[in-house]
Amino acid sequence: MDRLSESSAFDVSTHTFTVPEKQLKSPEDMLHWSTSQAYSNIVGFVLTLNEAVKNKKISDEYPVSEITRNVMGILETIEKWIDEIPPVDQPQRFGNKAFRTLFGRLKERGPDLVKRVLPPELEGAVPELCTYLVESVGNETRIDYGTGHELAFVAFLCCACKIGVLHEEDYPALVLKVFDRYLNLVRRLQMTYRMEPAGSQGVWSLDDFQFLPFLWGSAQLYDHARIKPKSFPEEDIYNSFYKDYLFLAAIKYINQVKTGPFAEHSNQLWGISGVASWHKVNSGLVKMYKAEVLGKFPVMQHFLFGSLLTLQPSPPRIFTSVSTESSESQTPMQCLTPKATPFATPSNSHNMLPSHNAAAAASLFQTHLGRQVATSKSDGTPSAEDSTSPDISSQGSI
Amino acid sequence: MSSSSPASVKCVDQWLEKLYKCEILPEENVKTMCKKAKEIFSSESNVQTVSTPVTICGDIHGQFYDLMELFKMGGRVPDTNYLFMGDYVDRGYHSVETISLLLALKIRYPHRITILRGNHECRTSTQVYGFYDECMLKYGNSEIWRHFTDLFDYLPLTALVGGSIFCLHGGLSPSIDSLDHIRILDRIQEVPHEGAICDLLWSDPQERTGWRSSARGAGFEFGMDVSETFVHTNCLSMVSRAHQMVMDGYNWCHAGHVLTVFSAPNYCYRCGNQAAILEVGEESDTFRLTQFEHASGLQGRENIPKSLPDYFL
Repeated sequence: MDRLSESSAFDVSTHTFTVPEKQLKSPEDMLHWSTSQAYSNIVGFVLTLNEAVKNKKISDEYPVSEITRNVMGILETIEKWIDEIPPVDQPQRFGNKAFRTLFGRLKERGPDLVKRVLPPELEGAVPELCTYLVESVGNETRIDYGTGHELAFVAFLCCACKIGVLHEEDYPALVLKVFDRYLNLVRRLQMTYRMEPAGSQGVWSLDDFQFLPFLWGSAQLYDHARIKPKSFPEEDIYNSFYKDYLFLAAIKYINQVKTGPFAEHSNQLWGISGVASWHKVNSGLVKMYKAEVLGKFPVMQHFLFGSLLTLQPSPPRIFTSVSTESSESQTPMQCLTPKATPFATPSNSHNMLPSHNAAAAASLFQTHLGRQVATSKSDGTPSAEDSTSPDISSQGSI
Repeated sequence: MSSSSPASVKCVDQWLEKLYKCEILPEENVKTMCKKAKEIFSSESNVQTVSTPVTICGDIHGQFYDLMELFKMGGRVPDTNYLFMGDYVDRGYHSVETISLLLALKIRYPHRITILRGNHECRTSTQVYGFYDECMLKYGNSEIWRHFTDLFDYLPLTALVGGSIFCLHGGLSPSIDSLDHIRILDRIQEVPHEGAICDLLWSDPQERTGWRSSARGAGFEFGMDVSETFVHTNCLSMVSRAHQMVMDGYNWCHAGHVLTVFSAPNYCYRCGNQAAILEVGEESDTFRLTQFEHASGLQGRENIPKSLPDYFL
């Protein structure tokens, strides 16, 4: 399929921005979430970026636009504040209360920071985007951080793409420069202010704080000739290659802060090191992200919906010839995760999600932006099928 | 123990012997244990009366070997009386062994150990935070999870120690002014998403005054003014609760009206926190806070099998 020229479906002259708010009040609302535009946008965006970083190292050549640099500048500014707002020595339960000072500064100065990356005609979007940016550093009251805050940062980037500030050519840099910068920022916040894991699943999850460095990180390693999944727990490997690979940087960080054998404190990751290929790791992590982050009410109840990421039902999908093997899996069905199978009761509806094919979801995201693109091989030639699709299109195993 | 029950003393002692070694019981034994425990909890109140002396403990979250450290510090049941304030399961590796041990101790010594409900002792939390996964891994089916979570509905919500120390997992509720309000609640149900039972298991103290919706998404945050009023109205000496990790294992707030006790050291293998227990003497106004660290050494965990989450199969 030919790549069509870009045309944005977003029209600032007719759009009313809003300040995002929580809208999922009970597990029963998860069905609205899983069939919403916001869900389609977020999944499509994550999968699109996943494609964009396949087999790319951080130090590779790819466009780094001025806007991308400006977004990185925002993160650098916030990181400087950490030096200006050191931890305080006061009686406290666990997290350092100085985090609240930094958070307050971000609420106050965030709009000016965000304004810098937006053209004047899009200044109306400042409150909406800024809300996601503020949410992405953690919770002010509990001084904690988790995958929901990471998701807020994804929402920030997704909205910036939706309003046309960031473009397709920025996608690799969004992960390998911007998101990498964001990870450095939040790791410093976590360590400096002793932030608590928010709603951690403990040994039953990948990691207390993050998910996407593993998901996108496994795409980076997709066809790596030498680094296989079985070697990522090895100190030599992650110490040698962490600067280029998000996955390995995440493993290095975990080993820095956790005590005891890796197999014990990070058992799920340890298990994943037994998977034969990064292809399988990547597709498994996509399924896991949808089920364990996007599919969990305790995470999603805090998600903020505005005018760009809405709970409105997702429009019927118009499938192009982007991906051929996906058609039979494209009905808006509900996918049972392993846990949901025996308990199909309303209170457990938060475990149920519709299935998404990777390439079709990526296509859907582009369609929402008003663009249609073909998935293509890394050499730029259009492909009849996406190489990840066979794994991602399968339902969660029962 | 009732002699009409199929769980004889000898039988439960055999269970305890296994469980202290961190070995799970066969499915049939777990079912029997849950049935017997249900009978015992059914006779307990929403505000369970507990005599002194007693050692009060906070969250355990499946950290079995750290529970063994706790028993080393405080003594074993029945030499020491215990009151646990909930959150036995989720997050750690050994939620099954932890809850099984505590239930077996309850059956064997029903008046020596009190087990309250935490916000994790419910169907929704355990499906998200690991207990369900652990049951599936260790038993291969969801029946065991169902038996445990059905049992959790019967756990008492709160306790009153020595007539003056009010113990519960979370905190206070705007729907509850007095202990009598709690006594009349129908607790035999899944933890609701809102309301008094939810609040008692989810709320946290806050530095501001008054009430605020909790940042957790369930329960409330309550101020010092609220604690003072509740303690005074109900003729209490203090409120002892858990639910929040604390660096030193315990944390006083609200001018000494509220004490948080947390008994899971080095939470998530990263937090580096101490754990603590509150040892209350014969007179409930004499007590001691004892801290402890996480269990050192591998202690039988040398060969952890590589298990693969279903998503990668």
